[in-house]
Formats: sequence, C-alpha cells, structure tokens
Amino acid sequence: MPLQVQAQFWPEDIKVHGFLTQNFFHTSDNNVYGQSDDGVSPGLTEIGLNLSYQPFDRLTLSAQGLYRRAGKVDGGVVRLDYGVADLNLFNYQNGRLGIRGGRIKIPFGLYNETRDVAFTNPTIMLPQGIYFDRSRSLLVSADGGSLYADHRTEFGNFSFKFNLGMPLGDNEEIRSAILGPAAKGEFKASPAFATQLSYELNGGETVFAVSYMNLKLKYKPTANDFISAGNTMIRPLLFSAQYNGEKLGLTAEYQYRWNDYRGYTVTPDTQFVTESWYVQASYRFLSQLQGIVRYDTYSSDIDDRGGQRAVRNGLPNHIAYAKDWMVGIRWDITSSLMLRTEYHRVHGTAWLALADNPNQSTTKQDWDLYALQISYRF
Amino acid sequence: MLQSLLFKLKRFLCFKAAVASFLIYLFIVPSGNAVEIVVNQSVPIREFSLNNIRAVFIMRQRFWPNGEQIQVFTLADQHPLHKSFSKNQLHMFPHQLRRVWDRIVFSGTGQAPVTLGNEQEMIDKIANTPYAIGYLSRDPDNEKIRLFVNQ
Repeated sequence: MPLQVQAQFWPEDIKVHGFLTQNFFHTSDNNVYGQSDDGVSPGLTEIGLNLSYQPFDRLTLSAQGLYRRAGKVDGGVVRLDYGVADLNLFNYQNGRLGIRGGRIKIPFGLYNETRDVAFTNPTIMLPQGIYFDRSRSLLVSADGGSLYADHRTEFGNFSFKFNLGMPLGDNEEIRSAILGPAAKGEFKASPAFATQLSYELNGGETVFAVSYMNLKLKYKPTANDFISAGNTMIRPLLFSAQYNGEKLGLTAEYQYRWNDYRGYTVTPDTQFVTESWYVQASYRFLSQLQGIVRYDTYSSDIDDRGGQRAVRNGLPNHIAYAKDWMVGIRWDITSSLMLRTEYHRVHGTAWLALADNPNQSTTKQDWDLYALQISYRF
Repeated sequence: MLQSLLFKLKRFLCFKAAVASFLIYLFIVPSGNAVEIVVNQSVPIREFSLNNIRAVFIMRQRFWPNGEQIQVFTLADQHPLHKSFSKNQLHMFPHQLRRVWDRIVFSGTGQAPVTLGNEQEMIDKIANTPYAIGYLSRDPDNEKIRLFVNQ
C-alpha cells in the first residue's frame, strides 16, 4: 500500500524557506544605516530562516528567526521574528475562520508583515513616511493572539485580521524621537491591537485595504530622572490601494495618525496629527526587469507643516517633514536571486534615525541617497 | 440601494469576465500551450468555480468538501506550463501568485504549494498523493489521475 504509506508520511514534512539580503548606501549628506555620508555603508543586512510544520490537518506551526543589522539602530542580533500556532477552526465553501497564537506579524498596510523580506518589497527602502524604520520595533511583531477570516464572493474576496498582543522591542529609537536623546528610563509598550480588512478583486489584481492600530507606551523614569512618568498613545489609520497588472503596477497608501503625549514634565501635554502618503508606479519591461518610481511625503504635525515648533526648540525646521522622490530598477537574475538599485532625492529629515544622526542641527534639508541591494531566497 | 449597487457591480464584473474570456480565447488559446487541471482519483468532486480554483492555488481554500486536506502541486514560476496554467486557467499572472505565496510563507500565515521539477514529476505526484491537485499539458491516460473542470 504505497499510497497509504505516503499519506501517513505526508504530515511529517517540514517546509524550510529563507533569505539573505545585503544592502549598500551612499548619501550626499546625513546618514542612513551607518556612515553613508562621504562613503558607502554596508550597514543593513537581513538574514531569515523559517520552518513550517503541520502536525494535524488543521494545525500549522511556523517560526522564523531573523538576523538584522541596521546601522547604529540595530547592532545585529538574532531574534524570533514570528513563532505561530495557526488553528483553522471552520471552513465552508466560500471561506474560512481561524485563530493564531504566539509571536505574530502585525498586519499593517500592504508590506508590514513581510517588511524585512526584500523579495516582497517594491523597493530597497520602503516608503519611510509609513513604514518608518525608526518605529519598527513597535510594528514588527507582537506576542499574543489573532483572529482571521476570509470570505469569497462573486464580486471580490474579503479578508479580515484582528490581532491583540504585546509589541516587541526596546523602543529606544522611539523614546529618543519622542522625549529626546537625554531620556534614559524604560519606554514600555502596553498590549495593543492591530486590525486589517482587505478586499481583493480578480485574484489580487486589484487590492484595497484599511488598517488600524492602537499603540500605547509608558515611560518609567530612572532614579532622579528629569522626565516624569508619562503616556504616549499612537493610533494610525492606513488606507491602501494597489493594481497588479501584467506589466503595470500602481500603488498608493495614505496614513492619518493621531498622537497623544501626556504627563511628561519636559513637554506640555499635546495632541497632534501626523499625515503621510505615497504614490508608486512600476513597469515590467521584461519579465525579469522592472522599473519603479515613487513620491512619498510625510508631515509629523499637520498644524505645523513648516516645523515652527522644532525651531522654537532650537532644532532645524526640516525635522518636521520629508518629501522623497525615488526611481529604481530591479533585476530578477533568477527566481531566487535579485539585484536592484535606487536613487532618492529627499527634502526634509523627519525619518532619519537619531542613532545614525545624533546631532540633528547638522543634518541637511536637501540630500541624495543611492542604494544597492542583492538578495537571495529559497 | 446597496442591493442594486451590488447587482450593478456584479453585472459589470460578469461583463468584464466575458470580455476577458473572449480576449483570452482570441489571443491565448490558439497560440498558447494547452493546460489541464488534474486531480488524484480520490478527490470527491469533479469541478469547481474559477473563484474556488484560485482560492485553492493561493492556499486560501485548504480542504475538499469531505474535509480532507487539498495537496497542491505546481511547477517553477518560469516553467512554460506554469505560465500557461496561470494565465489560461486562473486568469492571473505568475507574479501575482508569487506575491501571495511569498507573503504567506514569510509572515508565518501559511504554506506555499509544493514546487516540482518537471511534468513527469507532476504526473507521479498527482497519481500517488491522495487529494492532490496540479496541472498537466494533456490528459496523462493514467487511471489514478482525473481531469478537473474549471467552470
């Protein structure tokens, strides 16, 4: 009975996939991922390895380890990126319902769940107005649970995710962005929820999605701290739309984010809205060669787009915004090896990492960024 | 109001689908490679709608109506038969399938289909794996393999 034997052995299969990406950056001014100004920085390396195993038909166990080294922000450690038990609860002809538990990737916009996997990203640098590398520790994954549902209809397919969990990370980069580099206390996230509803037409040719998160951070002062115990609430709402044609691809995302800082002695209680959006077009000249162009813009406070508050605090006004024009080209040498390069002309410094640019007063408003990436996956 | 809107949308999509199938008939069928969806003889049904077939290949529909898990097999993205299957049967582009599979594999939300090396391997796997689905360039004349209808 060879058929029976194979049937019994089938669930034993463990699927293994991985990726390895090396990036190089050069900038005319300001630093990204290490010392890129006046040189070439190889400061961004990403290596991932994942396993997936199905002990029973309805239960899938998956885990991914991620090594990431990113300039002075991330010194290069191996982390558990996700470790998920996925239980499929209910199936019907046009859909399914399930739950996931463990360390789960956070659904946010079109790219967040696979933000460190070069092959799944449209460009070397994701649009920073939305996929801030600085705040990534809050956005990467969370320890908790998730409910998911899919429903297919003749007029499109709906997918829904609701995640509740504790975001990871030490949040040092976020702490210095909010409270300044002198803050030394612990900046701890509270359990947060993230939810996403997406709608796909024609097998994903057209995709629409809405994502929302509710993040809370609490500052725990050190002994004799000059900053009091305060709270920060961040609530981003993100709309996404994408067209994936045979040759032409069009993508746009718009984020409206409510921020609320309370109880810090160093700054008055404040509420403000951050806005960012981008539009992106790609064209497949050959099946293995793609060109891409994007405009990405970010205003940290829509009531102070010019950055007057920064000036009052003795900082350059251009830390309040960033407008980024980029063009790039991607060559898929084989289905598992990819090479690409891109150029950015940036006006503003809002998304520069403080760890790489400790003195904001010396950063330049208008700067160029060149990037080169080589990535392998299996 | 909503009902009539949905009805209009539905009618528009039907029209779009009709135009698309006509164009595909005009440009692809006469020149492209023939491709048939095939299943192991154990599969309890004979046909699926296009929407359900797509859901099977993007790994969203994981079970046959009798509750048995669907075993999905494909060829490499660049394989001519895969391109032809993707276009002619799913009415999708290979890069759309790749986008979906990469997303589930690298976010821990599912598994990608098993990729086989060539058509002969596909014949062997479909014949010997209960509840398997895949595709071939023609009916292999194998009693363990059945053609599957894409409505």
